[in-house]
Amino acid sequence: MISNMLRFSPSFFEGFDEVLAPEFARIARESSRVRAYPQVNMGVTDKSVEVYLFTPGIDASELEVSLEKNLLSVAGERKEDDLDKDAIHRRERFAGKFKRTIALPEDVDPDKTEAIYRDGVLHISIAKKAEIQPRQIEVKV
Amino acid sequence: MTTNTGTETAIKQATSDMSKAQENSNARAQSLQLTPAADIHETNDGAVIYIDLPGVSKESLDINMDSDVLTVKGGVNLNTPDNLNPTYMDVHAGFYSRKFTLSPELDSSKIDAKLKNGVLKLIIPRSEKHKPRKIEVKVA
Repeated sequence: MISNMLRFSPSFFEGFDEVLAPEFARIARESSRVRAYPQVNMGVTDKSVEVYLFTPGIDASELEVSLEKNLLSVAGERKEDDLDKDAIHRRERFAGKFKRTIALPEDVDPDKTEAIYRDGVLHISIAKKAEIQPRQIEVKV
Repeated sequence: MTTNTGTETAIKQATSDMSKAQENSNARAQSLQLTPAADIHETNDGAVIYIDLPGVSKESLDINMDSDVLTVKGGVNLNTPDNLNPTYMDVHAGFYSRKFTLSPELDSSKIDAKLKNGVLKLIIPRSEKHKPRKIEVKVA
């Protein structure tokens, strides 16, 4: 099932195909192969900020997640697999140290943060401050 | 007058082309696939393929072998809350797909697949007759 977030496709290069250069659109799509590690998807709900970091092949205990004010940092290292290989025919996957810092909206509450690592995706959920969450206001008669 | 009609027709044509392009692009957005990054190593015993499939669970992974073509497909499931409003995205599609053509030296009936932390490891052994052999030299 494709999740809510992934159904949304605002790719800048979409539609360039027919109108301009097909080659350009192809490169744009293919360029996802030479990508930043980790890739990030982010979204907000009324109550929280949800961050998804695509960090395949990492031991969750080796991930360093920190939140200072509204700056979320994730650092770690992905080690190379299989050192007893005879030949490498293709090498596209990232290996080495990484760090990614993400600026969250100012109104988050760093004390209410949860992080879960599942299937190679690190999901961090940070609550918004209670006072800025939308509230229903009762109308008195 | 003739020029005007010509221009008008050209505009209509262009508009229709654009809406067609728009339709096509919408259709493509829905079927948009990601090409996952892969490493291919060769060892004495055969080939080892690593494929990054973050967000793919064992249940949504599909590995298929058709003659000499190995196809790996997987759907991404992030379990996002229903009312999530995306603000930033590096990953625009929810589906990975990649094909590999295997050398006849490999024994595709004995593929071993392991999925761990969003990385698929495929071990494909070399068929017996293609394994490197040591040839003894007899003394005459």
